[in-house]
Amino acid sequence: MSKSVKIALAGNPNSGKTTLFNALTGSEQYVGNWPGVTVEKKDGILAGHKEVIIQDLPGIYSLSPYSIEEKVSRRFLVEEGPDAILNIVDGTNIERNLYFSTQLAELGLPMVMAVNMMDVVKKNGDKIDFEKIAKSLRCEVVGISALKNEGGMEAAEKVVEMAKKSVVEKGPGKLPDVPHVFSGSVEHAIAHIEESIQGKVPLRSIRWYAIKVFERDREIIKKLDIGVGEMKHIEEHIRDCEKELGDDAESIITSQRYEFIKKLMDKSLALNENRKGKATLSDKIDKFVTHRILALPIFILSLCAMWFLAVAENGPGTVLTDWANDGFLADGWHLPFTTHECREEGKYKGMEFEDAQGEFAKAEATVAAWEAGEKKASIEDEETGEIAEEWDIDEAAYNAAKEFEEPDPGQFGVWVPGLGALITDALDRAGVNDTVKSLVVDGAWGGVATVLGFVPVIFIVFLFLAFLEDCGYMARVAFIMDRLLRRFGLSGKSFIPMLVGKGCGVPAVMAARAIENERARRMTVILATFVPCGAKTVIIAMFAALFFREQWYVAAMMDVVGIAIIILGGIALKKTRFFAGEASSFVLELPAYHMPTVSGVWHHTWNRLKGYILKAGLVIFPACVFLWFIMHFDWSLNLLADEEIEKSILHDLGSWIAWIFEPLGFGSWQGAAASVSAEIAKEQATATLKLVTVGMEGVSSGAHIQNFFAALGDFPKLAALSFMMFNLFVPPCMVAIAVTFREMGSQKWGWFAIGFQLFVGYVLALSVYRLGVLFAGGGFGIWTAVAILADLFCLWMIFRPSKQ
Amino acid sequence: MNLASVIVLVIVVALAAMAMRRCLKKGAPCECGGSRKVCSRKSGCSCCDCCGD
Repeated sequence: MSKSVKIALAGNPNSGKTTLFNALTGSEQYVGNWPGVTVEKKDGILAGHKEVIIQDLPGIYSLSPYSIEEKVSRRFLVEEGPDAILNIVDGTNIERNLYFSTQLAELGLPMVMAVNMMDVVKKNGDKIDFEKIAKSLRCEVVGISALKNEGGMEAAEKVVEMAKKSVVEKGPGKLPDVPHVFSGSVEHAIAHIEESIQGKVPLRSIRWYAIKVFERDREIIKKLDIGVGEMKHIEEHIRDCEKELGDDAESIITSQRYEFIKKLMDKSLALNENRKGKATLSDKIDKFVTHRILALPIFILSLCAMWFLAVAENGPGTVLTDWANDGFLADGWHLPFTTHECREEGKYKGMEFEDAQGEFAKAEATVAAWEAGEKKASIEDEETGEIAEEWDIDEAAYNAAKEFEEPDPGQFGVWVPGLGALITDALDRAGVNDTVKSLVVDGAWGGVATVLGFVPVIFIVFLFLAFLEDCGYMARVAFIMDRLLRRFGLSGKSFIPMLVGKGCGVPAVMAARAIENERARRMTVILATFVPCGAKTVIIAMFAALFFREQWYVAAMMDVVGIAIIILGGIALKKTRFFAGEASSFVLELPAYHMPTVSGVWHHTWNRLKGYILKAGLVIFPACVFLWFIMHFDWSLNLLADEEIEKSILHDLGSWIAWIFEPLGFGSWQGAAASVSAEIAKEQATATLKLVTVGMEGVSSGAHIQNFFAALGDFPKLAALSFMMFNLFVPPCMVAIAVTFREMGSQKWGWFAIGFQLFVGYVLALSVYRLGVLFAGGGFGIWTAVAILADLFCLWMIFRPSKQ
Repeated sequence: MNLASVIVLVIVVALAAMAMRRCLKKGAPCECGGSRKVCSRKSGCSCCDCCGD
């Protein structure tokens, strides 16, 4: 069996390492167009080379021991020692990237430098002389385009060949040919240090260690265990250099390294004459999108555009969601371009399908009203729940109405039955009894279909985010937020996990690991999940569709509220002694804008969407089956009829805690059951609402939920808004809570995080409902006073003077 | 309860139990499509199917 070859993929943040790693290994690692996506190294097997392990290292700017990413990379490169290095360099920013490359070269390992984004370099008309760079840095240099999958595999094969050829010994080894980039006196001091540490380190890396000793890197000096006398001798050489060059040792190394790179660039990089001194397209765009005043409105506008497409009336998201909810997952739909007026003889001849359905609904209402002894019949508006039409009825009208049969959709065009209809039909054909049919149709399928019905909205949101991320805009958002957060003593570094959190709260909490400062890290973990994640998007989508069709901006406002909580919550926490302190530094490189590839955007979107669809089957389905059982059985395990649901286990459980939600406007067993079950997975709130309201009067799942909120009081929209905000801003799902506890490092801090999130979500829902009711003329009550006091407390926490 | 109802009931309950078992064993699926559980080696990735660990 051949020995495995380890290749380290190293480079600056956002230089394309993970994109190349995925291309080389066939992995599906998360790729983000902002720095800090990779916190820990990840392994993969090079496609077609079973013996070659590619290790994707976190992106770093140097091999200093300051940040977590630097420590991880340095430890691996120096101590574990790969067989060779594939150094990925951003060709559009080659000068700055070479700083790290010179350090890598000093490690003495075989190295291939892959200059990425060559497609952009060529498009810009710039020229890079690979030969001169290769000669100066003593390594191979090749051009690639990771995004277009060009040249990456060739570079990898070249580095594998070098690793196999090279007899790199892990022991003393032989002195490698490494670049000498420093001036005479520095080189002289380094040579002395090399002599002193010989035998203590592998010979191939002796120069790297010597430079680190020159820089007085404490970690390395401690590791080498240099004797006092020897260290004194070394110190003399370092001080001589510092005296001669008028700077401290670390700065001397840094500045001379840059001088070397500048000289190298002068002879190897030929920028397009026409571009010299001119602003690039990215610079021009950035003038607007990172503008001091315009930046934030542009960001909010982009969020509004996303939500407009997703949930606005007659927008693509709503049209597709309606089709999914009412057609594909429910009764069925007419194939586009096949619909026509009814041609068959009968009551519906010459009518469109919708008109025929309307006539049938009126006939049903007439029959029901006459049989109930009424003299008037009416039908309600599905959207508003208000009476849409009312008419007088008599026996003749009743008899005529009884003649109506449900219109056959097949008479109005090519009808494709929906999944709900197919399941119901199959169960009817099999002769399944009503109870089991209710379990399958209302319980299992009903819950799953409610969640899946909002896939179009989620798809549009994820597609939009993937586009913004891939084109480079999201990195600007981090920059904008850094500028904003810094004013309040917070770091933009905390915003990266929050950007990740738009997809899912779990990786968002974990991404906080990249923050070195413990206080800032804890604060980020507490705040990261306030950005509504993909699952919470379902709740937004459902309430936008049922209650705010004409106010689509309510959906966009939920994202804005999430960001506002992060900022205001951050300010309030910073003023406590637990989180006080300076904001940590945040280095952010803005990638050049580029048109995202279709496959890249699709890959991002599908990967997120896939998990969401899977979750409907693996989490929502069993949860709905369980909820159906406890809703249809009492404590003695007797099966209950639909009208006996008030004796059910779920009803009792919900009722016991309903008082908690009373001040928020949805203090019923249904509201309590939906809110608590949302801790399984946030979208479960929508599925549970559908399940627990299905027994109520109405014609569709949407109407059930509307009727439920209408029955709660005089302000159904405010109760719905309160329910939505409570479920969006209280602690996230159970998995995210478990990860929060782990990342917080102690039970005490875990409970603090959950307590803070619970307080914020509750106060927000309470304020929205109680103050909303007050302004809508619903009067002032004890809970209005509590809401005002809670808001005043929050304002005091935010605006009180800092103790720092 | 007739035979068809019993069969459907058993299928639904069995599927739900299998799904629940998978979630408890492997963790709920995450946004990358893989299963999500807390990684034992604290590698920083959110999904164990991502790194194959």
